[in-house]
Amino acid sequence: MKKKPISDELLNRIIKYLAIALLTLAVIFMATLFSDVWNWIFKAIKTVVVPVVFAYFLALIMHPLLKYLEKKGVGPRWLSLAIVFLLMIAIIAAFFYFIIPAVVREITAFFNDDFQKIIGYLTSAELRDNFILGSDIYDKIFNYVAGTDILNTWLDSLIPTFLAGMTDTLIPILTAVAIIPIMLLYYLLDYEMIGDRLRSIIPQKHEKRVADLGSRLNQTVGAYLRGQLILMAAIGAVATIVYKLIGLKYYFAFGLLVGITNIIPYFGSIIAAIPPIAYAAISGVAPGPLIVLAVNIGLQFVEGNIFQPIIMAKQLEMHPLVIIISILFFGALFGTFGVVFASPIAAAIRVFYNFFREQKQLNELSPEGGGGKTKT
Amino acid sequence: MRSGKKVRIYSEFAIRMIVFYATMILLLPIILVVTYLFPIGGSFNNLVFMFWAAIAVLCLTGIGTGILFLKRDHLKRRVRPSYRNEFIYLMMISAFGLLGFAVMYDYLGFDRQYIANFLIVILALMLYLLIMLGRKYFKFNLYK
Repeated sequence: MKKKPISDELLNRIIKYLAIALLTLAVIFMATLFSDVWNWIFKAIKTVVVPVVFAYFLALIMHPLLKYLEKKGVGPRWLSLAIVFLLMIAIIAAFFYFIIPAVVREITAFFNDDFQKIIGYLTSAELRDNFILGSDIYDKIFNYVAGTDILNTWLDSLIPTFLAGMTDTLIPILTAVAIIPIMLLYYLLDYEMIGDRLRSIIPQKHEKRVADLGSRLNQTVGAYLRGQLILMAAIGAVATIVYKLIGLKYYFAFGLLVGITNIIPYFGSIIAAIPPIAYAAISGVAPGPLIVLAVNIGLQFVEGNIFQPIIMAKQLEMHPLVIIISILFFGALFGTFGVVFASPIAAAIRVFYNFFREQKQLNELSPEGGGGKTKT
Repeated sequence: MRSGKKVRIYSEFAIRMIVFYATMILLLPIILVVTYLFPIGGSFNNLVFMFWAAIAVLCLTGIGTGILFLKRDHLKRRVRPSYRNEFIYLMMISAFGLLGFAVMYDYLGFDRQYIANFLIVILALMLYLLIMLGRKYFKFNLYK
């Protein structure tokens, strides 16, 4: 059978793509030679982007409340904005006034009362004799920990490492904390105008489509953030109350942990369940670890099967595998920030994908598009 | 030939009535949940606090009923195909109300040993009510 010769058109295309790939590789290679310059540029960009993104997220959470107040006829924009800001300040103040002291009290009590008991239990002969993997394995672990002095080294280096890390991150954090409220204020004050200005820089040909994409993204990310915030507060409060009802000590700290880790899908509930179960198992006081485990399973069942689907709505419904892969990928890429925001980023990517697929289908259906195109 | 049952859509007045009275019924347990977390034991006796809170809730119910009836004509003209947000609110207060009933059980001095049994009965009752209310009035199927 005779081989079909490669057409000139195909050859041209192959050469074009090869040239683009080679040029891209060359640019990347050149860029790596100036990594210091790039680091400097990226650091500067990061300093700007982080507060802007946070202000944008907060604006997405607060804007519907602002619109609601305006719909109810609450004054000019500055008045409704002042009310929303005061409300936000009141919530933050209440959190710091009521919750944080209770959590600090419990953590202090834990280190004063139970920490030594736990260390005593871990080094006791009773645990060694009943160790689930056998006393030989226990001895090996014990000798390793004692030989390397890993625990004391870790405890000794904890505060210096924390302080060293803080000096690096403290200034950007303080800058962000000072800047974000001001940015948020102006962003919410001129929310519509900023949108119009951004639209005006887009070529008229694409303006409508980009505006549509922007509004879909705002809707999806906003719905996620608002829903997640409500869920975190609700599940944290419910966990605290149930922990207290079953008589678990340090219920505020454990409840707060449940609320905070709830932002990480799937893994968050596991991370939050380990400390109270371990504490219940080691401390030996009521309630037993099984009751704490049952409470955590019950909470996750109610949250995952009743509240989350209703509050988050269908627009954020994603396959668990997609969410787990996004957590791993964005976690590796952006660290904690990536783990926390893996779901909204994945949801945003899905919005992009669906949007471009719809556009492609529309192009194919329209007479000027691919579907109706006729060769002349 | 027309088949199937006629679906009645309820006005905002009916929905607000349900939401308002549910809130009033669950308000005392919700207040108790807050006092359980941030104890008021130093300032009040629990039973005295519950008594005064119940009176305050009764007063609020009276005021709210009055306002609802004043707005009745206006609300009766407003109709929506489903009341999703109202139902979410109802579910949220039911969750905290449920815990509040457990706290109330504790405050009233009943045997703590049977608190789980009590909770399960209340939970079953609440779930049944939520499913029925959701299906009939809020047009929200909880099963889905």
